[in-house]
Amino acid sequence: MGLASVNPSSEGLQLCIFDLRRGQHEGQELDKILFFYPADLPFSTQLSVTGLSEGLITFTRIFSPEAACEVIEAERHSHVFYEPEPDIWMVMVVEKSKEAEAIWRTDALREVLKEVHSLFMMFHGSIRALLDKEPGGGLTRSHLYPFVMDYLRAFRKRSPWDKCCWDIFSGKKLQLPSFHDCLNERRTVQMLTVGREAAIEVQTLVRTLESSAGNTHCFSLILFQDLLVSSTLPPEDTINLFTYAVLRLTPRALSSGVSSWSYLRKGYSSSQVAGGSTFAHSGSVAEQFSGSVAEQFSGSCDTSSGDDRYRVVRPLQNDRWSKGKDGFLITDIWGTEVGDLDLATPTVWLKHTEARMYLCAYQYKSLTVIFLIPVNSILNGEQGVSMEKQKFLENASLKILKVEEKLSKGWGGENAYHVSGYRYLLVDSNRAISRASPAGKVTTLTKESLLALHMLRDEVDLEKGKNKWDHKAHDKDLEMCIRAKNNAWVIARITGGKELYMVLEKANEKLLYASDAVEKFSDRYCNGAFSLD
Amino acid sequence: MSGKASSSQSTTGFGSGGLSHVYIQHQPLHCSIRGSRGLFYDDGTKLLISTTSNQVISWKTVPFSPFANPTTDSISEGPILAVRFSLDEKLIAVQRSNSEIQFWLRETGEAFNQKCKSESESILGFFWTDCPLCDIVVIKNSGLDLYAFDLVSKTLILVETRKLNVSWYVYTHESRLVLLASGMQCKTFNGFQLSSAGIIRLPKFEMVIAKSEANSKPVLADEDVFIVTIYGRIYCLQIDRISMLLHCYRFYRDAVVQQGSLPIYSSKVAISVVDNVLLVHQVDAKVVILYDIFSDSQTPISAPLPVLLRGLPRSNSLTSQSNGGESESSETSNTNDHETIIYGDDWKFLVPDLICDVANKLLWKIHIDLEAIAASSSEVPSVLEFLQRRKLEANKAKQLCLAITRTVILECRPVPMVAKAMDAIVSSYSLSIKTGSFFKGIKVERSLTGVPNVNSTGSGTDVPTSRTDGLGKSIKYESNSRYNSGLVNRSSSYSASDSEDNGSSEPLKTISDNTPEAQPSSLQSQPPGPINNLVNPNVSEQQETQLATPAISPDEMYKFVFAAVEEEMVEEPSYLVAILLEFLRSANVEKVKVHPNIYVLTIQLLACSDRYAELGLFIINKILEPSKEVAFQLLELGRENLQTRKLGLDMLRQLSLHHDYVLLLVQDGYYLEALRYVRKHKVTGVRPLLFLEAAFASNDSQHLAAVLRFFSDFIPGFQSTTDFCAYHRVLGEMNGTITV
Repeated sequence: MGLASVNPSSEGLQLCIFDLRRGQHEGQELDKILFFYPADLPFSTQLSVTGLSEGLITFTRIFSPEAACEVIEAERHSHVFYEPEPDIWMVMVVEKSKEAEAIWRTDALREVLKEVHSLFMMFHGSIRALLDKEPGGGLTRSHLYPFVMDYLRAFRKRSPWDKCCWDIFSGKKLQLPSFHDCLNERRTVQMLTVGREAAIEVQTLVRTLESSAGNTHCFSLILFQDLLVSSTLPPEDTINLFTYAVLRLTPRALSSGVSSWSYLRKGYSSSQVAGGSTFAHSGSVAEQFSGSVAEQFSGSCDTSSGDDRYRVVRPLQNDRWSKGKDGFLITDIWGTEVGDLDLATPTVWLKHTEARMYLCAYQYKSLTVIFLIPVNSILNGEQGVSMEKQKFLENASLKILKVEEKLSKGWGGENAYHVSGYRYLLVDSNRAISRASPAGKVTTLTKESLLALHMLRDEVDLEKGKNKWDHKAHDKDLEMCIRAKNNAWVIARITGGKELYMVLEKANEKLLYASDAVEKFSDRYCNGAFSLD
Repeated sequence: MSGKASSSQSTTGFGSGGLSHVYIQHQPLHCSIRGSRGLFYDDGTKLLISTTSNQVISWKTVPFSPFANPTTDSISEGPILAVRFSLDEKLIAVQRSNSEIQFWLRETGEAFNQKCKSESESILGFFWTDCPLCDIVVIKNSGLDLYAFDLVSKTLILVETRKLNVSWYVYTHESRLVLLASGMQCKTFNGFQLSSAGIIRLPKFEMVIAKSEANSKPVLADEDVFIVTIYGRIYCLQIDRISMLLHCYRFYRDAVVQQGSLPIYSSKVAISVVDNVLLVHQVDAKVVILYDIFSDSQTPISAPLPVLLRGLPRSNSLTSQSNGGESESSETSNTNDHETIIYGDDWKFLVPDLICDVANKLLWKIHIDLEAIAASSSEVPSVLEFLQRRKLEANKAKQLCLAITRTVILECRPVPMVAKAMDAIVSSYSLSIKTGSFFKGIKVERSLTGVPNVNSTGSGTDVPTSRTDGLGKSIKYESNSRYNSGLVNRSSSYSASDSEDNGSSEPLKTISDNTPEAQPSSLQSQPPGPINNLVNPNVSEQQETQLATPAISPDEMYKFVFAAVEEEMVEEPSYLVAILLEFLRSANVEKVKVHPNIYVLTIQLLACSDRYAELGLFIINKILEPSKEVAFQLLELGRENLQTRKLGLDMLRQLSLHHDYVLLLVQDGYYLEALRYVRKHKVTGVRPLLFLEAAFASNDSQHLAAVLRFFSDFIPGFQSTTDFCAYHRVLGEMNGTITV
């Protein structure tokens, strides 16, 4: 394959977003590109990446019009394709390095693409809508660039108990989900297991929130630490908001923000983001089409700047949230109201209802309560929102106290879901919920076990993919059990849409032992969901 | 309140048309006798007694009936200062002077006298007691004399004397408590409780009287002090005319504690207790104020309103409550009726809930109008709590509670308020379960109305009496314990929330039991107190009052509240879910079991607003506890939402409902999985045909062969069945077609 023409960047990752409907004429190919990382790559290189991708898409569509290509495995690169909106493609090119660290699972990489796009949709609406709004593309580019960059910057491990922030730019390298993360599942939520009494208490709190809003249809999301307790949102929106909350709103996210807050104050961070070389370059790229995006972008960071052509909010920016005196989380990301000292309330789009909602987050100790109020239900803007907040405090603050107390009492700590002897990942794809061994425990696994599991998951992904096209409604049960070189059992079991992956190190060599171990685990922690046999 | 409340809704409108919370029901008991010289009320036997020069005529007031027939006893002529029947009603004691009491044996007419020994002593009064030590207690200005009655020698034997200075005394049989006033201002009190458990001497205590001027020393009179029994606790209420307050003291075994004061608005005040509700009659102001002295709250239940006379025939010839057959007699007696003056000067208030119109010789019974009280307050939770504490008209209270609950839900009142209402209902139910009164109710009621009828010695009344004509103490004791089963329940059903009264749940304690917590109130539950508290005194309503408690079970909540409002709440399913959740929360706190139909309703409501994700959360967190009903509801909804169907399936599996689970698996086409499940859980009685058909339908000969093979191994003799033969042939054909 002629992939050598794609000049590999030193960082081994390229990420681009392009629109097949644009730039149809020769010489306008650059118009297709809505986002490219790294931005400092020469246009020729950028164009060759998108060109190749487009070619492959067009070619594969001949055979499979519904779903064009998902991945290309070349000798030195993997190309992961994702079509989030019709004719809008996201392509990630990762280098296959000799180093073992660079072992990717394409499904995991695609999940990253899905996550970026879903989050983008939540804050800015669909890319297509932005393009329609301003056909020139400048608006879209000026939104996409900072957003994806912030996302990559903010990339940290999603496993709630992992201390290390997963800075995608740690060193010079991007830390994409590798085999180390095979006991993780992106695009799922992690739930707190609560007793019946606490659950009822939580639900009464949810109803209180709902009823305090009166007739307007509000939603709420409640987290304890980094775990979801309750959500009245449909699954997809729950995942998006949960992801954002864990990234930016939970006490852990806030405190990690505080620690680097001082760093920001020193004046590095913002200038780095705004005026970083990569960005400046992208600005100049974009300039060709839509004027000085870089200026707009840096302007938007600096709220004092008045004449932004595009007012771009950057919801993923780090360290911009803090807890206010009244317990509500505040941020200046959304700027300030004109002629008002109050900070503007963030808004998000819900995928399900396609409605724009005010996002209010309230935090009490480890409990984070997010509630969403339809923008169109509040007539007088910020004033109305603060009235709603007041109502919220009046109605719910006592209940919140009670719920927090109940949940803290039942909280087993970081290693609450550790099962000794097991390293596991449990995914309920029906409900998009996952639970895994605490990250701290996963690190005790040897590299061999992890690599084995990684391979196993790749196989399972393949099987699942096949199955998806074979029987659409019929769940297929699947069981795989591998004895790794280091004498560990690596097991995958899928039944009724539920997936269980586990690693048993230092285990007995009999297969019966392994299946017994799964059985025990299933009976004790999964209500026997995996013990059909 | 809602019109569904009860049949007596129609009665609210009658009478003089005024608003009231307390009423007296026409018609009264007429007790006018030619030549009557005095009218007495014996609270020990609950008899209204009228005397002529040589006769004692008595009416039973329990159960209250305007048509009670009087009983006449002849005695010798002479002055009568006081009359009291012995508790077994075999003796009549008549105080002739301040030094002499005369006794009659009713059966034989024999009489004998008892006189004071010394000239200086004078008798202030006397009462019969069921204290094991003595039968009659005589209060003199020099103290108490306790006598036992000897049936054989027909004499009184002095058992004990307590030397004390007594200015005057107050006694109620209900409390078994006698308070003796002494001192210059008569504000120093000695108290004795003479119950079937023995005699308890209360610590001496002083009452509070404000002074109008520095030198004035107001003297307390006996009409200023009332002993009242509320929720099995004994209180003393004392009027302080200077500060216009009614001081409230509560009696414990070892202490008397002042419990605050109630304001009064009249110099003349009378007290009644109806169904544990304290009625403070402001006689001059002609209004009554109601208090529910249950918690420490001393706020009145309702605004001051006059007492209403209900059911006067002239205003309600058509709506006469239920005694249509008696309307004739009521009309005839009506002609003699005098105009009833509410709070007239001749009203005497009798313990606990009677009013005697001395001038007109009428006896009225006081009722409280639960509906009016409920309607006058917007504080729904406290109204419910109040109603749940009512025992006298338990049925009505229950119906009212249900109606109120329905109304608040239909009106979509704020959730926290409804939550409190749920708490009130559920905790009351939980208490009634713990004390057993919820199930006992009907049984106790029957034994009370049935048994005494057998015992009654045919006094000519057809009104069932609940008095016992015991021959001696042992029998009486037995009957005590029977009544106690009701009484104890009653008092102990409050004890849980009133930790001080914990001792009261132990029936028939002896005097040797001197645990520090045991208070007079705990002993109160032992004597055969006012029996009428359990029997509805209103004869006309007796049939419908079958309940001992207005407690509402979760099942009834479902039937009469949730299911009833569901249809009208179609617009607001999420509100109803919020309410159901509050109900579940209350039930969980009180550990009350909830019937699955409430869960099923919750599921339906969530589903109809398309909130499947939340429904999943409810199931996973077991807010809706697993049950077959719930599982099937989930499966039904599964047609709309696959995830929900899976939840239902999982629930079936977790409940080990093997057959249903296997059947559903086959239905969904997972017949091989079903077979594995069958093998693992050794599910017997599965029909192979189902599996064979499913396998055949999948058109997979390997699967069909596997199914055949499985059943050949699993069911002995399967190979000789027609199913096997048929499908074996089919398999052969399938393979044949392949080979061909």
